[in-house]
Amino acid sequence: MRKLQMFKTIRKLAGLTALLLLSGNVFAMETELPADPLNSVMWENMASRFFPGEVVIDQRVIVHGPLDAENQMQVPITVDATQLDDVVQIVALADLNPIPHILTLHPTRAQPFIGFRVKLEQASPIRVGVQTADGVWHVNGVIVNAAGGGCTAPALAHGLSDWYKTLGQGRGITRRESADLARLSVRLRHPMDTGLAPGIPVFYMNQIEVTSPAGEKLANIEMYEPISENPTLTLKPLITDKIDELLVYARDTEANEFRYTLPVPAAIDN
Amino acid sequence: MSSSLLDGCSRRQVLQLLAGSAACACCGLVHANKLAYNLAATEIASGTWAVHGATEYFTLENGGNIVNVAFVEVPDGVVVIDTGPSRRYGEALLQLIEKTIPGKPVLRVYNTHHHPDHFLGNQVFDESVVAAPQQVIDNILAEGDGFADNMYRLVGDWMRGTASIAPTVALENNKEEIGGRAFSLFYLSGHTSSDLVVRDDETGVVFSGDLAFYNRAPTTPHADIDVWQESLQSIAALDRELILPGHGLQDSSGESLSQTADYLDWLQASLRDAAGVGLTMNEAMVLPIPTRFSGLDVVDTEYKRSVVHMYLALEDELMPLIESD
Repeated sequence: MRKLQMFKTIRKLAGLTALLLLSGNVFAMETELPADPLNSVMWENMASRFFPGEVVIDQRVIVHGPLDAENQMQVPITVDATQLDDVVQIVALADLNPIPHILTLHPTRAQPFIGFRVKLEQASPIRVGVQTADGVWHVNGVIVNAAGGGCTAPALAHGLSDWYKTLGQGRGITRRESADLARLSVRLRHPMDTGLAPGIPVFYMNQIEVTSPAGEKLANIEMYEPISENPTLTLKPLITDKIDELLVYARDTEANEFRYTLPVPAAIDN
Repeated sequence: MSSSLLDGCSRRQVLQLLAGSAACACCGLVHANKLAYNLAATEIASGTWAVHGATEYFTLENGGNIVNVAFVEVPDGVVVIDTGPSRRYGEALLQLIEKTIPGKPVLRVYNTHHHPDHFLGNQVFDESVVAAPQQVIDNILAEGDGFADNMYRLVGDWMRGTASIAPTVALENNKEEIGGRAFSLFYLSGHTSSDLVVRDDETGVVFSGDLAFYNRAPTTPHADIDVWQESLQSIAALDRELILPGHGLQDSSGESLSQTADYLDWLQASLRDAAGVGLTMNEAMVLPIPTRFSGLDVVDTEYKRSVVHMYLALEDELMPLIESD
């Protein structure tokens, strides 16, 4: 009798466990990865590596890229996620690059917007995940056709014997688009070596930080190997009428540090 | 192989294909028609024929035939201006010449510049007659193989057997007599670093190469716009009867020159404005194109390509150096 009850208890427990497992499965089904509109073989891999948690396909993430990469060393991409609120980070990927991670932007006090250029090794989806404060990844992208070879070709700088003399040289334009919004475009000289070109070790700018003169962090970019030579970046920092300059800090994988100061005009120029 | 390619095949053919038996039981159905350019010659002046290409971009359908090629009957033979995008095109061109002017030898082939649609038919001609300025030859030697690779990617099987062959004759003189006819040679640039313009001094036909486009948007992968504008003025000042542009129909009024100049002028000014205010390339690509250019074929595509070609240099020029420490 006691044995029978014990058996029943075990069965109940087993049933409960099965139920729990089942509900676990149901939960997993609720967060199942949506189908990839770009139909990429790398979608599940990209999502599990870079977008942990809930993923939705969201047309409010606007990714501008050319249908054809006219120059696979400098493929222009602009991401505009300004239709989303509370953006924590923006992750850009090239699915079929040997190194897919292009960059991660933390727009701490900036619009969720970035322009950049990427090297493509072959035709590839350019995929962008925008994570909002609730943890959800809003994903969209474009497919760029390309002739190939962008990541494994040496940087143009290596055709110059004294390329290191201009390492870190900066160019930039800053505009005040409205009273509290700036547009910052910079080009920083750097070979951005991927380590995939024969005989040239990996060497790239891996960190960019934009701050106000008071030291307030506005935006931070982690950059990776696929970013094009002489990174050309466009950001939209949020400012005030008191801010008359923006500071840009950059650092590369050899721990070279570069600091730039860009004046912000007082007049609105839209 | 995508399933759509197999749609026209029987199950057995597909199985054979998958099993690797039979060379390719299904391919005959996939490419039922042998690729053929069906070139046609239009007599645009006395003894002068144009072979017009489509005013499109390279596609699998047009096989790269987007270019104007020409041939001229001279007393002792034939002079050819440009050779098309592939070996297959070159072969079709030779047949067309033989059909139009039977029994006359090709005495001279000019390559106006090093873009792939203008010289990749070279290999069907006797190499001793193929001529261009030294800089065009150098450009073909430097970039020809890469162009040929890219053309295989863009138009596929049309390119079979095509190789990049550089001219063997480096032109230096301002005139040459070929088979009893005098041709004037003008060494210009701007569309590329070397653009040859040929004038038949008998008929006054000017073969402008790609310095002039007509009702087809100009292309700019190697362009220097300021130099190109100077070259257009040089062509405008030439004593001439007719212009055969590199792309588009022949032009007796000179409108191809003013149209090309107008477009390039707008293109440069518009992109300068965009780069000057820090727009991204993608933002520049969606700026409106004035309606007066809406009659230019493939203008949307070429404009976007031009943004990529021209923006880096414009940014280097217009983005000021910034303070750093």
